[in-house]
Parts: sequence; C-alpha cells; structure tokens
Amino acid sequence: MDNFEKHIRQNAGQFDEHRADKAKMWAKIAAELNREEPKVIPLWRRPMVRIAASVLLLVGFASFFGWVWLGNGTDNAQYASEELMEIDMYYKDLVSYQVQLVKNNPSLSEENKAEFLSFMDELDAEYDVLKKEMQKNLDNEQVLEAIVGNYKKRIELIENLLRQLNDSKKPDDDYGYTL
Amino acid sequence: METDIRFTHRSIVEQCKAGNASSQYELYSRYVDAMYNVGLRFLGNTEDAEDIVQDSFVDAFKNLDNFKYESSFGAWLKRIVINKSINHLKAKRIPVVPMEVHEFHLADEEPIEAEATDIKKVKKGIALLPDGYREIINLYLIEGYDHVEIGEILGISTSTSKSQYHRAKKKLLEIINEL
Repeated sequence: MDNFEKHIRQNAGQFDEHRADKAKMWAKIAAELNREEPKVIPLWRRPMVRIAASVLLLVGFASFFGWVWLGNGTDNAQYASEELMEIDMYYKDLVSYQVQLVKNNPSLSEENKAEFLSFMDELDAEYDVLKKEMQKNLDNEQVLEAIVGNYKKRIELIENLLRQLNDSKKPDDDYGYTL
Repeated sequence: METDIRFTHRSIVEQCKAGNASSQYELYSRYVDAMYNVGLRFLGNTEDAEDIVQDSFVDAFKNLDNFKYESSFGAWLKRIVINKSINHLKAKRIPVVPMEVHEFHLADEEPIEAEATDIKKVKKGIALLPDGYREIINLYLIEGYDHVEIGEILGISTSTSKSQYHRAKKKLLEIINEL
C-alpha cells in the first residue's frame, strides 16, 4: 500500500460529509417494522387466545375421558345410527334423483305424474312412521329392514315407470332405422 | 482488542433482538449517517441512498437473530447496505467493475506508486470517475475492504479485484493530476 492509499484510508472519515434526514427515514423504517409485526406475532401468543385455547383443551380432554369412561355402552348404538344414516343418505339421494327424472320427463302427462307422485307421498308417510319407530328402538333390525324396503319399493316403482316410458319410445326408434 | 470492537453496542443490540423499539431507534441514530454516506457514495443520489439505507435497517432489525458478533454491528450493517447498493446498480445495468471480468489486463497489473494527495482533490477525482471505476475505489480505499472481500461483494475473483482496482486507481490518479 502506497502513501496515496494509506492517506485516504486514514482519512476515510472525511468522506462522510453528508447528513441523513433522520426523522423522515426513521418514520419509514418504523412504519415498515410495525406493518410486518402483526404478521410475525402468532395468534397463539395473545394472552386471551392462550386462555381460551387452554379452556378449550381442558373441556376437550374432560369430554374425551368422560366419553371413554361412561360412553362405552352407547358404542353400538352410535355405530348403528351412523350406518343407518349412510344407508338413509344413499337411498334418499337415489330416490330424489329418480323423482326428478320423472318430473322432468316430457313424454309423461301431468295426470300420470301426479298419480305417480301420490304413490311416492304414501311411501314417504310410511317412511316417516318407520323413522319415528327407529328413534324409539335404534337396534331394531326389523324396522331397519322396513326402511330399506320402503326405499327399494320407491326405486322399483320409479325404475318401472321409466322403463315403460323408454319401451314405449322404442318402436318409433326402430321404425326409423328400418328405412 | 478485536473482541472489543465486535461487541460494541452489544447491550443495545441485545435489546433490539428482544424487539425493544427505543433501542432500535438508538442503534439507528448511531449508524444512520455513516450508512447514508456509504449508500450515497455507491448510488450517487439521495433518493436511492435513502431507500437502500431504509431497506437495510428494516432487514437488519428483522434478521438481527442472525447477527452473531462475528464482526461489529456497524460492519455487519455496512455489508448489508453495500450488497443492496451493488444489487441496485446491477439491476439498473450500471457496471460495477471497470471492464468485463473475462478480459485480460496484463499491462495494468503493475502497481503504481503515488504520494499522499489532498482529500478534497481525491473526492473530486472519485466523483469524476466513470461508472464501474468508482465502486472498486470506494470499496478498497474508503470502505477498507481487502481484495478477498471485494471479490465476494462484486462476485469476481480476488485476482480480478486486484487488477480492476489497479486499473481504477490509475484512472483516478490521471484525473487528479489534471485537476
């Protein structure tokens, strides 16, 4: 390093001749730091949320152990009810889909539709009775079978009706092809 | 002795790490002018210098946990300001070294000896240097980095840093002699 370089390095402080606009720059820095802070502090660090979470955790544990200790007897009932709900949902969807098909079918007269839907209403009423019966006695296999039977009857009815409608269309279609 | 420098303002730095806003302001107050001058030397205008210094302080405060007293806080912060300034110049496609690094400058390799020069003249000379010459002169003569560090900052090899510096120094001396 020559004298030229040494002299500059030793007097490097003399190159710091400007003064920053301290207040203006700090305002921007502080704004940036504060803007980011809420994102950095996790929700869990807030005292109220901590207390709420602890209470929730306690209640959760209490109900879990309570269920394990006291709730063993109801296990089967819950299982049966869950199974029933699944069956119920499956058939309900199927029936409503097919009823919609009938309602939207253009080749069916309003009269026929009304007649068909009145059958459906009868079966709906029967279904309601069965469901009430089911609530009284959740394990009754006969009631369960009756409910499924009720659904099956409805589906069968609809399928028959739709098949008849399609069959009645066929000769016309065939006729078209024999040309 | 070296340890003392590294641990300058340690208690304030530690309070900043804990998120103390008044300590952050204290640390900012101590370093803002020096950092502003560094930014100004590299970027050449107040707006860019203010932006870069603000960004650097925000980054420093956010990443203060990464500061492990391997250098002084000032040196750590200055490196952030310089890296940001160099990146800013590169983004603006302003050259940060005198010539393309893959070129050979065998003729310039020979060091030029020069005598101590009036600092005012040096300041004027540096201001008149073309883009690409100023950065390496600033880094070596004023900021006091060695060629290994300059190589890291500018992304060039140590030997390239040396040859480019000699080239820039030669240019600076020419300008000063003409003043």
